Amino acid sequence: MINKTIFKKTLAAAAIVAGLSAIQVAEAANWLMLQGTERPGTAGRAKVWGFIQAQYQADDSEPFTHPTDGDLYIPPKLIGPNLTSQQQFNVNRARLGLRGTGMPLDSSVNYFLLAEFGNNGITANDNDAVVSDASITVNTDAVRIRTGLFKTPGPEEALQAIHVFDYVNFTSVTNQLMLERFPQLGDVNTARADLALDTNKGSISAYSRPVGAFRDTGVQFFQSYKMGGWDHSYAVMLGNGNGMNFGDTNNSKDLYLYWASEKSFGGKGPRMQGLKIFAWSQSGKRYDAYDITTTDEQDRTRSGFGVKYLKMPFRVTFETMSGNGMIFQGQHRPQDAINDLEASGNYLDFGYYIPNSKWEVDLRVDTYTRGENHGTSAAGDESTFDTNTVAAQYHINKKSRLTMSYDMRTFASDTAAVNTQLKGVANRLALQLTHIF
Amino acid sequence: MKKILGIIAAMGMLLSVSAQAGDFAEQSIVLQISDPNPFKQTLVLNVANNIIKHYGQDKVNLEIVAFGPGLRLLFAENANQDRIAALSSTGVKFSACKNTINAMAKKLGHPPALNPNAVPVSAGVVRIVDLMNKGYKLVKP
Repeated sequence: MINKTIFKKTLAAAAIVAGLSAIQVAEAANWLMLQGTERPGTAGRAKVWGFIQAQYQADDSEPFTHPTDGDLYIPPKLIGPNLTSQQQFNVNRARLGLRGTGMPLDSSVNYFLLAEFGNNGITANDNDAVVSDASITVNTDAVRIRTGLFKTPGPEEALQAIHVFDYVNFTSVTNQLMLERFPQLGDVNTARADLALDTNKGSISAYSRPVGAFRDTGVQFFQSYKMGGWDHSYAVMLGNGNGMNFGDTNNSKDLYLYWASEKSFGGKGPRMQGLKIFAWSQSGKRYDAYDITTTDEQDRTRSGFGVKYLKMPFRVTFETMSGNGMIFQGQHRPQDAINDLEASGNYLDFGYYIPNSKWEVDLRVDTYTRGENHGTSAAGDESTFDTNTVAAQYHINKKSRLTMSYDMRTFASDTAAVNTQLKGVANRLALQLTHIF
Repeated sequence: MKKILGIIAAMGMLLSVSAQAGDFAEQSIVLQISDPNPFKQTLVLNVANNIIKHYGQDKVNLEIVAFGPGLRLLFAENANQDRIAALSSTGVKFSACKNTINAMAKKLGHPPALNPNAVPVSAGVVRIVDLMNKGYKLVKP
C-alpha cells in the first residue's frame, strides 16, 4: 500500500506537472529523454544496438595475515564480480538491445529492450543472460509515461549511459550507497576452500540475487520543457524497490523524484555539451529477509544533488549524496545490510580533452563515509573510503575507446576489527576497451 | 520559315523552363525521399544543405519530394522540423504526396499532421516526373 507521505508527494508532483503542461515541450538531450523516448517522426521499428566492454584489472592490496588462518582477503582487495583473484581479464559488459517504435507512423509509443550477456554483479551468480531493461513509453504533449524495468531517476553517475562513463570503476559513494544489493534468507559469507587465495571473507556468493544496477520495475511520469534557453526536466516514479528482480517483496512502493535544468552549449546525444544542475530523492521500505516473522520494514532513503559542466575541452562534475537505512556493509556481510545507519559521500571529477588529439585525461576525487551514526545504531562501524583516480582515455573513433584508470585508495574504520582489514586496501589498475555498435 | 518557327518555339520552351526554374538559377534539382530508414532523413537534409551552400540559394531551385515511408520527414512532429524550417527559409520547397497521406490516414485513423512548410501534391512520383520534364535533375540520396 502506498503510504500517505508518498501519496502527498505524488499529488504535489502531479500539480507541478499540470502547471507545466502548457509550456513548450523541449527536445532536451538528457538521460530521461535519451533512454526513455525516440526522436519523433524518425525512429524505426527496431534499431539494433549494444556495446561490449572487455577489461583487465589488477589490485595491489595486501592481505590481512591471520595468526592461524593465513592470508585473508576482503572484497575491496579482489577483482569483482567474482572476487576470486587480484588480477583478472573480464568481459564486464556485453549488452545487446532493440529500441524504436512498433508503429513508425505514430510516435506516441516507443520501447527500449536491453539484455546483459557480460560478467558482472547482474549476472555473476548464475551466469545467465539477464534482461536489464524492458520498457514502454507513452508520449503525450503534457506528460510521458514509461513503464517496465529501466534506470531509476537518481544521481548522474548512476543514471548516465554506462557506455559513455569516463572511468572503469564507480566511486565508492555510488558503488556502496546507490548500487543496491538485496539480501535474502540464507545469504551468508561462505568459505571458498577451492581457491588458491583464501577469500573466505570475500565471496560474492554471499549475495544470491543480482545487484540493483540502478534499476527498478515501475511507472515513471516525466517530461522536458524548454524555457528561457534552458531545458528543464522532471521525473516522478513509483517502483517495486526490488532492483533487477522482477516482482516485489512487500507492499511498499519506492518513490523516486528528479529534477534537472540544463543549458545546452551544442552537440547532441550522450555527449551533448552543457551546464546541468540536478537534484533527486529516493525513498522506500525493505523487508527483513533474515526475520520473516516480523512485519517491520526498514526505511531506505537516498537524496542528492549535483552539477555537470561540459564544454570542450573541459568537463567538471560534482555530486553529493546521502542516505539512511540499508547501508551496504560489504559484499561479504549481507546479514548486516538491514540497518538504520547513515552514510554520505561526494565526488569531484575533472576531464580535459587534449585539443587536436584523440586523448582525454581525467581526475576524480571521491569520498564516502558509512555508519556515521553507528554509535546510536544497532550495528555497523564508521568507515571512510577515499579514492583519487587518474585516468586517460584514447578515443579510437566515436564508437570505440580505451580507458585506463588508476585508483589510489585509502580506506579506514573507527572499529579495530574492520580497520585491520581496510588498511591494507591499496591501488588498483584498470584497462578497458569499449566498443559501441 | 519552318526552321525559323522551330527555333522560335525551342527558344520559347527554354525561356519557359528558365522562368519556372527562377530567373537567376543555374541548377534545378529535385531530391527524392521514399525510404523508411531514419538516416535517410538526415542524409537528404544534409544533401539539400550542401547544394544550397555550394550553388548559393539564389542560384539553385531545390525541391524535396516525400512519398511512401519517406513522408515521415514532413510530419509536423518530426525531430528535424527546425532544419526543415531553416531550409525552407532559403527557398527550398517541400512536397508531400497526397496518395501517401491518404494511405497513412487509413492506418492511423486520421490524416497525419504535416509540417507547415510542406505542400501536398497529388502524387509524389508524378511531381518528380513533372519537375524532370521542366529540366530538374533527380537525385535520390
